[in-house]
Amino acid sequence: MNEKSVEHVVTAPPPEAAEADPAGADRNPVKMRTRGVNVHYAEKHALRDVSLDIGEREVTALIGPSGCGKSTFLRCLNRMNDTIDICRVTGRLELDGQDIYADSVDVVQLRASIGMVFQKPNPFPKSIFDNVAYGPRVHGLVADRADLEQLVEQSLRKAGLFDEVKDRFGDPGTSLSGGQQQRLCIARAIAVGPEVILMDEPCSSLDPIATARIEELIDELRQNYTIVIVTHSMQQAARVSQKTAFFHLGDLIEQGETPQIFTNPRDEKTQGYITGRFG
Amino acid sequence: MTDPADSVLIEGQKEKVRQGLSRRLRAERRFRAYGVVAIVLAILMLLFLAGTIAANGYSAFYQTWIKVDVFLDEELIAPDGKTDPQTLREEGDFRGALIESLVASYRVRGREKENRLIAMFSTDAERTLQRHAIANPRLVGKNISIWVKASSDIDQLTKGAIRRDLPESGRKVKDVQLVWYDRMAAENRIETRFNTGFFSTGDSREPEQAGIWGAIVGSFLTMLVTLILAFPVGLAAAVYLEEFAPKNRLTDLIEVNINNLAAVPSIVFGLLGLAVFLNFFELPRSAPLVGGMVLALMTLPTIIIAARASLLAVPPSVREAALGLGASRVQVVSHHVLPLAMPGILTGTIIGMARALGETAPLLMIGMVAFIVDIPGGPTDASTVMPVQIYLWADSPERGFVEKTSGAVIVLLAFLVVMNASAVYLRKKFERRW
Repeated sequence: MNEKSVEHVVTAPPPEAAEADPAGADRNPVKMRTRGVNVHYAEKHALRDVSLDIGEREVTALIGPSGCGKSTFLRCLNRMNDTIDICRVTGRLELDGQDIYADSVDVVQLRASIGMVFQKPNPFPKSIFDNVAYGPRVHGLVADRADLEQLVEQSLRKAGLFDEVKDRFGDPGTSLSGGQQQRLCIARAIAVGPEVILMDEPCSSLDPIATARIEELIDELRQNYTIVIVTHSMQQAARVSQKTAFFHLGDLIEQGETPQIFTNPRDEKTQGYITGRFG
Repeated sequence: MTDPADSVLIEGQKEKVRQGLSRRLRAERRFRAYGVVAIVLAILMLLFLAGTIAANGYSAFYQTWIKVDVFLDEELIAPDGKTDPQTLREEGDFRGALIESLVASYRVRGREKENRLIAMFSTDAERTLQRHAIANPRLVGKNISIWVKASSDIDQLTKGAIRRDLPESGRKVKDVQLVWYDRMAAENRIETRFNTGFFSTGDSREPEQAGIWGAIVGSFLTMLVTLILAFPVGLAAAVYLEEFAPKNRLTDLIEVNINNLAAVPSIVFGLLGLAVFLNFFELPRSAPLVGGMVLALMTLPTIIIAARASLLAVPPSVREAALGLGASRVQVVSHHVLPLAMPGILTGTIIGMARALGETAPLLMIGMVAFIVDIPGGPTDASTVMPVQIYLWADSPERGFVEKTSGAVIVLLAFLVVMNASAVYLRKKFERRW
């Protein structure tokens, strides 16, 4: 598990304005831009030549059948793949025009700007308060206890969990229900003050009611954060996202406005997947 | 839907399942019986072992005392008329006073008989007299009644380990001594008491004066050195190998060799200690410092393997959560992974230490097998440890050391049980799967 073992190949920087935007006309400015991203796990070519733009303050859904590379792509966006020895990422990934795989970029700094929520709710085996306070403490974001308490409260409010847990900050985070745990994880990610939040199938282990609650939350969070969500549920992608990208066997097949992808896909594979013929 | 062919098949299938069922149930009962038999055998062996040790060893925890009337003769114990502690300590002939009084009480004549009589008492008896006189100097010149330790042979006689029906030449306690003994017993001068000396003195040539405290202190100092060396080094090695080291040939080689090291016979570590620590670095012989270093080498692989297994068992989701929040890798380990792995690491460490506590062979090689009477005051003092003390006593010819050997085994086993129980307790206490 050596961070240095991730190879970084700088390809030619993309010509700025000249290149045609693959996603068509954007409503929002581009927050993250990827060009020609390839990922290898040892011999396996997991992701081929992915170029995708992620718009600011909107939800981009990554859909596709299992093993299509969508989670791999998501984990490239905050360099979580660095922890896997055999994983090799090439191509260019930018946050606000900055190459995030450049030598000058510190992953700790990067992950403070790009938060992540995982498939299975994974609160720390600590109290609810300490779960949310962990990020700010690690990064030294707050000066004193009062500020920390305020930040924790704000984060829990933004994650829509405050009213449910306000009387029991000292309880273990793992004592909450699955949906509450996942919102706790979102609060924990928000507390660091990220600009982008990556969500890796955040509702896959939740019941429909908890899922609806998270989806509402994602819609609220969109006002302030750029969100990238991997999902297996096409209904979910249709409900929460503004942009959708369809992955298949390591290729980015199609990307565009969510209504367009779901009503009028250009590629027949996309058509096949969203109509349920495979996946 | 009810095809005749189908129903025939189902009919046959049901019959076959029924036949197979009783066979499978029999096999299951048989397997369970094997298990029960095995457990019963194991328990029987354990009970036999524990029973033998307890039966042989319980008598080591009490010993025989004899009440004697002694005239503290001024001429012998305070020849220049002074009764200050220093004079009594340096000049007083308390052995002479004891012999004089005994000879008078039992009207013994002849050198040989005198020797037989005084041999019924421990050499500790005169020191008891001396301590008593120093504490109460005004008793000098007076008659006192005082309890003193019996010799080991008399102690064994009291405990029934010496048989009276043997011919006189075949037993350590002679006929004349038996007569005196019976007279003392009739006068209620014989008493058995809890053997506090066993837990407060060091080794001795005299079984009735030999104690295990020196070995306990030696074991404690040795374990302390082992723990101080092996725990931090083992923990750091395990954390580095599990969390930070790149997976390549070199780390694979290191891993294989750690596993090999765990299987190396302990006497080899003893030879290593002899060659390196004693002969090359010229560290003191027989010292807990060197013993601890040798045992640390022996315990290190156990701790590394246990710690790596515990670290591996920490769910990756915890690491991912912390990494995703921007914690550095050291922070991930120190804030989340280590606290979760700690119960397992502690358990592995305690079990490794318990093994080291019972280790004898490597310590023989570095000279911890010497006869040491003094209680060691520090890790560089010559000392012995509990298992080596057991080995030494088991090697002694006197009858009195047989019970001492078993008594020491009981003490050692008690320590091991306490250590293992604390391992279980620590695991239960810190094992929080919130």
